[in-house]
Amino acid sequence: MRHRHLVQTDHYILPVSRLRNRTTIVFIVITNSVGNLLLALGTRHLPAFDPTALLSYFGVALVNGWILGGVAVLAVSMYAQLAMFTWSDLSYVVPMTASGYILTAVLGQVFLNEAVSVVRWAGIGLISVGVLLVAETGPRTVHEADGPAR
Amino acid sequence: MKWLCVLVTIVAGSIGDLLSAGGMSRLGEQRSFHSAGVAGNLRYIFTHPAVLAGIAANAVSFVSFIGLLSVSELSFAVPVTALGYILRTVLAKVFLGELVNWKRWAGVVLVALGVLLISV
Repeated sequence: MRHRHLVQTDHYILPVSRLRNRTTIVFIVITNSVGNLLLALGTRHLPAFDPTALLSYFGVALVNGWILGGVAVLAVSMYAQLAMFTWSDLSYVVPMTASGYILTAVLGQVFLNEAVSVVRWAGIGLISVGVLLVAETGPRTVHEADGPAR
Repeated sequence: MKWLCVLVTIVAGSIGDLLSAGGMSRLGEQRSFHSAGVAGNLRYIFTHPAVLAGIAANAVSFVSFIGLLSVSELSFAVPVTALGYILRTVLAKVFLGELVNWKRWAGVVLVALGVLLISV
């Protein structure tokens, strides 16, 4: 018989595990942002995207240093996310990594002096509340020994 | 073309995450980031069919998103693909048996709405 735990709340997780959880999320978010930034910088040196010539587009892209660096950093980010799936639910990891939008907005405000409108601040507020709500549920609801239910 | 890219980006990305998460969770908790642990994890990742299929599906989603960016504005592409957050949560509940309580539903809906607002 498949046994399921009740939804675990964060209060019952050991502080060390909680710290590792948060550290991994922050690591995923930062490497993802840096990787995307490198890709964005790299695409400036590329011809316009042409879906009918996908192979030649990616051929040019893959010899560009910025793009290669971006792909490498994104691969590290993806590895960290895959590793996190071994102890965390998909429905936990996905909204938690959305905290990256908060980081992007704050970085834009601080380093690029981008004006952040009231509507954008409201969006950042909603994302923050959403992330805090999901954080409270704790990372795992499926009993590990059972593996994922099908 | 635009809506085809939206559909492929969301569906392929969500199925990719579903396959990766399902495959990885069978490995059991791996918190080590030391070299031996990482090597073991990489061996698992590159030999597990579901995880590999998940990575391939995410690659398809990524290419489709680049295509979407070339035929639409960022302010359209980012919020519309945020619908993928909701789809991933539904798939996680249905196929992985995750218990999605009201806090997770409310959280993921707020996140998707927030992404919509920051993109306008």
